[in-house]
Amino acid sequence: MSQDLIAIVMFSGMLGLLLTGQRVFGAIGFVAVVAALCLWGDRGGFDLGFAASIKLMKWYPLLTLPMFIFMGYVLSESKIADDLYKMFHVWMGGLSGGLAVGTIGLMVLISAMNGLSVAGMAIGATIALPELLKRGYDKRMVTGVIQAGSSLGILVPPSVVLVLYAMIARQPVGQLWLAGIIPGLLMAAAFILYIVIRCRLNPELGPILPKADRDIPMAEKLRLLRAGLLPLVIFFVMMVPFVRGWTSLVESSAIGAVAAFVAAVLKGRMTREVFENSVRNTLGVSCMFMWIILAALAFGAVFDGLGAVSAIEELFTEKLGLSPWMILILMQLSFIVMGTFLDDTAMLVIVAPLYVPLVGHLGFDLVWYGVLYTITCQIAYMTPPFGYNLFLMRAMAPPEIGLRDIYTSIIPFVAVMTVVLAIIMIFPELALWLPDLVYDN
Amino acid sequence: MPEAMRCYVRIIDRMNRAIGRFAMYLLFALIGVLIWSSVSKTFFTPTLWTLETAQFVMVAYYVLGGPYSIQMGSNVRMDFFYGDWSPRRRAIVDVITIWFLLFYLGVLLWGAISSTAYSFGYFGTEPFKFFGELIWAFVTGGPDAAGELMGYLERSPSAWRPYVWPVKVILCFGVTLMILQCVAEFFRDIARIRGEDI
Amino acid sequence: APSIGRAQEPIKWRFQTYAGAALGEQVTKPIVDYINTAAQGELEIELYYADQIVPTGELFQALQRGTIDAVHSDDDSMASPTPMRVFGGYFPFATKHILDVPVLFEQYGLADIWRSEYEKVGVTWLSAAGQDPCNFNTKKEITSLADLDGLKLYTFPTAGRFLSQFGVVPVNIPYEDAEVAVQTGELDGMAWSGITEDYTVGWANVTDYFLTNNISGAWIGSIFVNQQRWADLPEHLKTLVMSAIKAADTYRNQWYWGGEAKLRATGDKLQLRSVPPEEWAEVENAAKAFWKEIAQESEIHAKVVSIFEEYNGVINQAGPPYNF
Ligand code: NA
Ligand code: NA
Repeated sequence: MSQDLIAIVMFSGMLGLLLTGQRVFGAIGFVAVVAALCLWGDRGGFDLGFAASIKLMKWYPLLTLPMFIFMGYVLSESKIADDLYKMFHVWMGGLSGGLAVGTIGLMVLISAMNGLSVAGMAIGATIALPELLKRGYDKRMVTGVIQAGSSLGILVPPSVVLVLYAMIARQPVGQLWLAGIIPGLLMAAAFILYIVIRCRLNPELGPILPKADRDIPMAEKLRLLRAGLLPLVIFFVMMVPFVRGWTSLVESSAIGAVAAFVAAVLKGRMTREVFENSVRNTLGVSCMFMWIILAALAFGAVFDGLGAVSAIEELFTEKLGLSPWMILILMQLSFIVMGTFLDDTAMLVIVAPLYVPLVGHLGFDLVWYGVLYTITCQIAYMTPPFGYNLFLMRAMAPPEIGLRDIYTSIIPFVAVMTVVLAIIMIFPELALWLPDLVYDN
Repeated sequence: MPEAMRCYVRIIDRMNRAIGRFAMYLLFALIGVLIWSSVSKTFFTPTLWTLETAQFVMVAYYVLGGPYSIQMGSNVRMDFFYGDWSPRRRAIVDVITIWFLLFYLGVLLWGAISSTAYSFGYFGTEPFKFFGELIWAFVTGGPDAAGELMGYLERSPSAWRPYVWPVKVILCFGVTLMILQCVAEFFRDIARIRGEDI
Repeated sequence: APSIGRAQEPIKWRFQTYAGAALGEQVTKPIVDYINTAAQGELEIELYYADQIVPTGELFQALQRGTIDAVHSDDDSMASPTPMRVFGGYFPFATKHILDVPVLFEQYGLADIWRSEYEKVGVTWLSAAGQDPCNFNTKKEITSLADLDGLKLYTFPTAGRFLSQFGVVPVNIPYEDAEVAVQTGELDGMAWSGITEDYTVGWANVTDYFLTNNISGAWIGSIFVNQQRWADLPEHLKTLVMSAIKAADTYRNQWYWGGEAKLRATGDKLQLRSVPPEEWAEVENAAKAFWKEIAQESEIHAKVVSIFEEYNGVINQAGPPYNF
């Protein structure tokens, strides 16, 4: 069997196994070790799976994973974001669609405090969603707002997805995080623009809050503004020592975890139950990530051994004669398609080792590409059949929101994200200006 | 459902839950090591051991916590079809596909054991025989006899130079627990197919 | 007897180097290219760079098992289980120039020691060669020994052990992650190579200063092969492999020797700094104590150290350019 054929058999075997619904890490790991045994059985094929665990251990940025996951759970379980929500509620209620706009604002702040979309989803679905529905907001729009808004968690730093990308692409995490800030804010602005325009055209989608609800003394309104300080404090406590070089990335993530924990304790929200849920869920999600990456590293090593990357490069550049930009666009499109089916870790550890070297060879900036990749992951989070935000929404949504509502709610937001993706592709400076400024490249 | 299978599932569930709950709190050990690392770096001299120690703790965290995460159902599956199936149908498919997972874990364990043997200074190709002899020597001749069988103890290639066998032993132990848990899941699915629940 | 009619199946080797892709292009790939061209399909070698198939720290075990057939590395980085481990890589102040390494191996008997020690653990040692000196490239300026205190440096295990007495905090991470680690604050720089490598692999982009004092004049690195794989190789291919290694040694010699001079003189990414020789002598003296300490460890250790001492005696008597 030729090497290209082996690569294709491996890939389709893995997809087939994934479709059976077996745990993702089992499917990937099985294909990897079987391929290793068939290819190099008597010559160490047995060791390849285990060698990945040593590789995984040495990838020190992965130490941030449980930290950012823990932060997210502390924030959502302890409900220290409730005050934040009230703040946006009071300040934005007077606008048509204002609560939805405020929810996006809330999601941006939550994104600055955790590395995944889970916390945003939990806070959005438990605090914002019931409130918005009670106020007569369109259920499809608010479902979309929360899914899209919480996906900013992986683009606005800190971001677990960008840490994983940094490991694969061997790019500096600090620069990648800074590169995510402007696109993240741009994306939030685009969501807001969409909400405002829709609600201007069709005011029933987001009714203005009744006068009685808005009649709050200015002093009270200003007092609520203080709630916005907490996320900023946590963000800066974590980011400043890191960007200034006083602490390393993994140390800063631990500081962030402690800061979130202390904030919850000081607010009196760290009950036994909150503690238990945060710690247990952190273990569950961390284990999920680690075991998938462990299996995928073995898969990647076999792929490397086969020389699959150069084969794909040859196919694109020589056999098909494509220009770099055409290849890049093709890759993004295939990524989006794949992202609807796969979860982001599976995409990252299997596809990125093929695509990232290619992107580098074609002469594109890998920090910029990290941002493109992350936006694609955001889209993947929301698109059926497989998406974290989709699952979470299904699990958390009140009964009046059906599966059909959840599926249709994302359409306009995916369109907005695709537009932002195109804008960042055309104007790389949007991503690169800030890291260049800070790191003085 | 034979009582032996029920009993197995009950024992394994309980044991892995206990070990997993222990691993769960390693999160704070990890935080502690990293915070100490930042403090010592800022106020005293940076330490040699913190990054590697954190890496070792992380291995224990996700490997020993793995079986408990399976109990909690944290490991994602692609539910393109799976999501729409009845619990019975899922159990039928899982009973077959869990063997893929078990095979992977088995190979992982083989690698872990041979690598652990290597870290005890055994360079041959029959790690099981080596461990058999090692245990036999320990039983009959005590630690000294066992020590004679061991060769060059592998150290981490760093200036701190810790011995690496403890982390490899943890990996062996954790992967074994994963296998035991997956077999328990297999029994549980068989019961489900028969319309029972354990 | 030569087979008639059907062409022989090519022998395939997987070869992993300690070096990342950018550096491996210069230090390892020439060997592989030479063999692949000259063997006319009888022997095909696939080259893998640092950590590609197995992590560098696991290279030795992989080589014994045959996961990898051949390896280019120093004994220290690949965690060799032999007494040679502390000497491979950069043994503090054992050498002054790149040519000292082949002289030590071929004329002073190190080759025999290496060959027999590796035979004991089931690996065939083929050849050793010198490379660049071990200087420092850092974000902070070093102009005195006190500046070393508290620096987190990416360095060789043995060098790290030695340097820790001056307050250096040695950090061990995968080779390819070192550049990123400087940016994430895990590292303040490297004590790993000469200036050629700093520019080649991109470390010059993330650090600002280059210390001209070195702790070793030349890296000692070797080519190893799985014992069985080597035994199976026909004689003429063995000869071919050996000549490829020697040809690549020659290329590497001039690449480093010329590169170090040119980049120090004209490179614009790293500013040169020096610690005064009187002060640096303290480090050299510490190395002598370190040698004694190592010589205590076993007879083999003592033997190698005595060879270093003998050779250093010779070049010190010979005077410049040998001892500087
Ligand atoms: Na974030
Ligand atoms: Na999706």
